[in-house]
Amino acid sequence: MVDVQLSDAEKTYIIHGAQDNLREDGRGCEDYRHLEIETSVVSTTSGSAKIRLANTEILVGVKVELGETSPENPDKGRIEFFVDCSANATPEFEGRGGEDLANEISNMLARAYDCPSCLDMRKLCVVEGKKCWIVYVDVLLLECGGSLFDASSIAVKAALYNTSIPRLTVTHDEGHTELELSDDPYDVQRLDVYNSPCIVTLSKIGHSHVVDASQKEEACCLARLMLAVTDKGCVTAMKKEGSGSFDVSSIEDMLETGKKVGQSLNKSLMEVLVSEDRNMKKKYMTGYLR
Amino acid sequence: MPTDTRRITGPESSVSPYSFCKIQEPQPLFNSQDLRKDGRKCDQVRPIFLKTGVVSKAQGSAYLEQDGTKVICAVYGPRAVIKKEEFSMKGQLRCDFKYTTFSCKYRRQYQQDNEEKDYSVQLLEALEPAVLLHKFPKAQVNIYVTVLQNDGSALAASITCSSVALCDAGIEMYDLVTGCSTRLAGDRLLLDPCKHEEYSSKEHSEVNNGSVTVGLMPSLNQISAVTSSGEIQFEHLKKAINKCSEICVQLYPVCQQSLSKSVKENIKENT
Amino acid sequence: MAGIELLSDQGFRVDGRKANELRRIQCRLGVFTQADGSAYIEQGNTKILAAVYGPHEIRGSRSKALHDKVLVNCQYSMATFSTGERKRRPRGDRKSKEMTMHLQQTFDAAILTSLYPRSQIDIFVEVLQSDGGNYCASVNAATLALIDAGIPLKDYVCACSASFVNDKPIMDISYLEESSGGAELIVATLPKSEQIVFLEMNSRLHEDNLSHVLDMAVKGCKDIHDVLDQAVREHVGEVAAISGLE
Repeated sequence: MVDVQLSDAEKTYIIHGAQDNLREDGRGCEDYRHLEIETSVVSTTSGSAKIRLANTEILVGVKVELGETSPENPDKGRIEFFVDCSANATPEFEGRGGEDLANEISNMLARAYDCPSCLDMRKLCVVEGKKCWIVYVDVLLLECGGSLFDASSIAVKAALYNTSIPRLTVTHDEGHTELELSDDPYDVQRLDVYNSPCIVTLSKIGHSHVVDASQKEEACCLARLMLAVTDKGCVTAMKKEGSGSFDVSSIEDMLETGKKVGQSLNKSLMEVLVSEDRNMKKKYMTGYLR
Repeated sequence: MPTDTRRITGPESSVSPYSFCKIQEPQPLFNSQDLRKDGRKCDQVRPIFLKTGVVSKAQGSAYLEQDGTKVICAVYGPRAVIKKEEFSMKGQLRCDFKYTTFSCKYRRQYQQDNEEKDYSVQLLEALEPAVLLHKFPKAQVNIYVTVLQNDGSALAASITCSSVALCDAGIEMYDLVTGCSTRLAGDRLLLDPCKHEEYSSKEHSEVNNGSVTVGLMPSLNQISAVTSSGEIQFEHLKKAINKCSEICVQLYPVCQQSLSKSVKENIKENT
Repeated sequence: MAGIELLSDQGFRVDGRKANELRRIQCRLGVFTQADGSAYIEQGNTKILAAVYGPHEIRGSRSKALHDKVLVNCQYSMATFSTGERKRRPRGDRKSKEMTMHLQQTFDAAILTSLYPRSQIDIFVEVLQSDGGNYCASVNAATLALIDAGIPLKDYVCACSASFVNDKPIMDISYLEESSGGAELIVATLPKSEQIVFLEMNSRLHEDNLSHVLDMAVKGCKDIHDVLDQAVREHVGEVAAISGLE
């Protein structure tokens, strides 16, 4: 991640601020920064979303392809995550420089979505034991301004919500199975992402913890706890990151905060997505032109 | 050993032999007397065997066995950082977690796959808080963890094993790190799960089904690693973390005993 | 390709353009805050983001430093979802390596390299959506990003492609026209001095027609120059207004 150099005095200022629930940019400890979401931005995908969280810019494209089912799960489709850290974000990501970070993000996303209630994979199965839809979720990181995990998970959820899978008709004919694609481009199947998780990263600063840390705050935090929280208030993945450690009791406080923040984040995200979906036809796509 | 992609190793179109396996009906994790398949109670941990100094070439090493889970760990260093870009005034830890190709039900590849890379990072972050990194500036310590046989709770076992190996190598530490994992199934907590008890996404769909792994520094009472998978409610998650920490504390004497034993033996040999 | 008529008898192309018409170009400078310069360009359905970092100290091994001029370092990568069929990796394949090299050569010729000896300028190009003319759009986007970064250039670098269909040259070809098997000529020019900094041609074209096609592509570059110049002027005007410089 991009390094920010901070003096001891600046660090103390931020730590004391976090204790008093007041942060350098005027937010409280449990507030996110300004967040902008736009869906269907790339027409070569089945679904896409672009998100801007302060300085963090992420573009997610979802492509669905027809493939073979895996032998372990003959009645299910698959979802695969790929994260690419573009060198546009920082020159350190050039070549293979961003691969470690990219792997961490994609592993966390895969783990967060690896439970049956997040996405119903059985709906993605076309012919049991033979054909299924494979959902490729490609995350492109264009600018880093902190909270990469949170922003990626929000963008992924938005892109999956936006995804439309063409409807297929299966006919069995003397042992052959034939697949027929619907002619109508609007005859599509949508994914139910109502229960998909959003990742909330809680950064431990001094004795308190903050949500959506800015780069300066990240520089004075030693340990982070990431929680993938669903709308129902369940955790689908958890991970500790960083070189510090937590007190047993502080983990409980962090879980409390994570639950509260995660549920409200999911709720407002769904509201935005539903309303954007409704206004889709009226809207003029801006993308990166503003 | 990289695989040769140009050589045709089999017929062009082949079917994995596993696809002919009968899919086993998921069996209940415990029977009516609350006993698990291997006869343990829900909150019973498998017996642990821990021995240090098993790799003679390494500065420190340890071997840990929990019934079917067998982990060996070797620690090399501190040694000088060779690459100039990786210069740092703090010491650095490097972790390499690997399943041997024959350790699991399905054969593993020689190269690290995503799961192993993920575990390497988690292991590193579990150990980092415990090590006095500023004591060996401009140098690095390499930790190689190899799972010889996997029967569940591999990450937890690796955490314990590698922290003991670090200690055996004489690396200064604030505390040992002990690991414990648990499987959540409804209201039950199955401590130290076996392979078949571990969480996998394909079985059930009810809430509170998942695994939690905790790494604890017992004398400081600080949690240095915590991960989970599967859908869990917050109350159950808290309960699981607390239960795991309790077990981690109980593991502490086992580690201490094996370390003091090896120190005693060393002294005896050298005098 | 049978069935598809690339240029109708009435002189219209598949997407309704005339033979000497560019696709719609929309662009924006200063998309990102962290990069020293950045730009976004849409040429029809081809969408590209470019970022410029530098001039800065040489990263990595010092042996790469040039004692008399700046090192221009490029990276071209395509988002895995940018094409019709999903790409397995965003960069590192032969095509993107070649593209990286071409970009490097192009901008080596256009930047006043002797001003910053022993330093490095990074140009990163990311294709978000691809519909033909990736090289051209990349060059145009990178030019805007370089201007946004304030790096001295000899002139705008504008790139345009052209093809030859039904005895007529056509300008700024799309993916459909690119893949139909006809000739493809790509040229990057410095429009004011009318110098060519990059020229590439694929497939077969009769020698007699080469000059027509080249003229068409160069004409395209000039048109693109006008569009880019206007965008830059607008951007500078806005920035000046914001910082109260008017």
